Amino acid sequence: MNLTRDRVRSIGWAFLLAVCFALTMVLTFRVNAVKSEVRLAERKIVAIKQEKMFLETEFETRSNQQQLKALNDLEFGYEAPRAAQYIEGERRLAELGKPRGPGAPAPIRVARAAGGGAEAPFLAMVSPLTGQAMAAEARTAHKQADAATLGQYLAHIQKREVGRE
Amino acid sequence: MTAISISTRVSTGRRKLVNIRQRSLLTAKWRGLWVLACFAAITVCALLRIVYLGFFGPAPRGMDMANALLPDRGEIVDRNGVPLARALSAYALWYNPNALGGGSPLVKSPAEVAAGLAKVFPDMDPAELADRLATGQPGYLRRRILPEEANRIHALGEPALEFPRETERYYPQGSMGAHVLGFVSSDGHGRVGMEQVYDKRLTDPATRSRPAQLSIDARVQGALEDELGRGMALSNAKGAAGIILDVDTGEVLALASLPAFDPNLIDQAGTTNIFNRVTNQVYELGSTFKPITVAAALDAGTVTDLSRRYPSSRPLSIGGFQIRDSHSLGESLNVPEALIHSSNIVTAQIADELGGQRLKATMQSLGMNERPFVELPARGFPLWPRGDWARITTMTVSYGHGIAVTPLHLASAYAALVNGGIWRPATLEKLAPGQAPAGRRVFKASTSARMRQLLRMIVAYGTGKKADAPGFRVGGKTGSAEKPGAGGYRRSSLVATFAAAFPMDRPRYVVIAMLDEPQGTPATSYQRTAAWNTAPVVARVVPRIGPLLGIMPDETRDIDITDLRPLIPGEASE
Repeated sequence: MNLTRDRVRSIGWAFLLAVCFALTMVLTFRVNAVKSEVRLAERKIVAIKQEKMFLETEFETRSNQQQLKALNDLEFGYEAPRAAQYIEGERRLAELGKPRGPGAPAPIRVARAAGGGAEAPFLAMVSPLTGQAMAAEARTAHKQADAATLGQYLAHIQKREVGRE
Repeated sequence: MTAISISTRVSTGRRKLVNIRQRSLLTAKWRGLWVLACFAAITVCALLRIVYLGFFGPAPRGMDMANALLPDRGEIVDRNGVPLARALSAYALWYNPNALGGGSPLVKSPAEVAAGLAKVFPDMDPAELADRLATGQPGYLRRRILPEEANRIHALGEPALEFPRETERYYPQGSMGAHVLGFVSSDGHGRVGMEQVYDKRLTDPATRSRPAQLSIDARVQGALEDELGRGMALSNAKGAAGIILDVDTGEVLALASLPAFDPNLIDQAGTTNIFNRVTNQVYELGSTFKPITVAAALDAGTVTDLSRRYPSSRPLSIGGFQIRDSHSLGESLNVPEALIHSSNIVTAQIADELGGQRLKATMQSLGMNERPFVELPARGFPLWPRGDWARITTMTVSYGHGIAVTPLHLASAYAALVNGGIWRPATLEKLAPGQAPAGRRVFKASTSARMRQLLRMIVAYGTGKKADAPGFRVGGKTGSAEKPGAGGYRRSSLVATFAAAFPMDRPRYVVIAMLDEPQGTPATSYQRTAAWNTAPVVARVVPRIGPLLGIMPDETRDIDITDLRPLIPGEASE
């Protein structure tokens, strides 16, 4: 084997070409792999978007205006607020938090109806995953709050309303 | 010798053998090389193909995802983007008797399969179903089934029961706004409402990705339908219609015709309620026309003094026809009193002074002589007195008789009456700010300002008292017209209308509520007129929709009517 200079050079070139070709191939495969990943991701996005639209439509159907009206008629009986229940502008709102001026009459304090106790009348917010009360509520003593407490609260409202009438 | 000869023979044989061996080895080598070459060629081809695909192959098109998400039919949303109609791919239940490739179409007996199906759909009749399965005719067993129902049918193990995914038109709000939306028939084209109007746009691939936005507000539409339905039930009416219109742009915020139909169930529900009372049916709308007559007279200058008194004690006799009031309203009335008490006699006199030509011109410029301006395909043509109006025609038209228009005509006319005098066509498309059509001037701004005062007075002191929603400054006019029947008007069947606008100090919305043939019931104090049945509907609708539309109730604010109050001394002193 006598390797002349020219021969070595041409083998070198061939080797370089082979390396470049191999690298190109690797790169091409990589690109194609990424492309197909993108395609898969797109397909997944489409599927999820369709699923989302399906769920959204289901929510809208279950909470459509007629359902809400039926629920309101049956459960809550809310009515449109009256004019006196509105506050006009920020000034009126700010007035409610104003400190008492000198010589102003003392604000009327309304006693709380007994029976409700110190506990908040509403149910504690419960995590849907663990079934435990949320951290903020857990610290307070709301653990006992359950349907019975809500029932008591509703009974109070009723009593109060009967009293008012 | 023999041995040598033998050995020679042997050596020759060996040489031959070696030759054969070499030759077959060579053949084998060649063959191996050929196979290798083939493999190499295939590899090179494969590599070249991969390289070619890598470099020149079609790139994953960016449009793929957009195409997949493109709905078969575009969405329709309300002005806030709440979807009112959308394309939803749902399962259908299809019976394919050829699924098993000949022989019996079902694995089990038809009766067993029918019983299994009846368990999933309790409303289906097993006997009828078994008959259908036994006949072996392909067809839909059910057009729409839920995914969990599809799973349960799959568990029956019958290949002949297929559930193809089909795109369905779905209306999440059910029957709400059905007359505005319309429905999509089985041929895939929209019918009746905006589905028909937008059909091209909703099916064109270039435009259907963008939802069509209506001027309707779903919350307002719901409130109007609720309250109209309540009013209809309380008064035992045959039907009801209502419309809420933006006075400055002509956008329709709600349009309801009751009883409604459910566009989701159009095949089953039939087509009895598809008729639109708001845009297609014409009614004589009665006294709600009086403010238009008064406005025309103020505009023309035939009424310059609102305190002028008109005789009202005796019915007017014109050409053998008598114009009377529902009850005696005293010796004489001025203009505000005539409106407050809704006097036909005084309005007829005002119209008589105005003249038929001018009243007709006003009515024409309010669009009362042509179909209402709105996109909906079903629009009724008014019953419009043709030619020159005789004296009696002028007088009856002045209080809304002898002319029949749709409630939408009335809404557009009231919008012009209170918005400064500009009439604009109604539209169901949401308009961008500043896009409102220029419209045409019908009344002077001063006339419109005066009419706002008068309409507010009718509600504050007159027949419209029951429509007064505290804090919302409602103004409006009642109208109770007898329906024409064979041989004259039928005393027993009325059309009760209330045309209102609010807030009167700066009118934003017109509300029209109409009941078809209301009856006297305990809830309406045994009265059938608009003051007792439609006015309370308006009083309940306005507080519900006002805050949603940015109008806060304020009892400290109202339109200034101090200059007119001395003209109605009796009522205003209350």
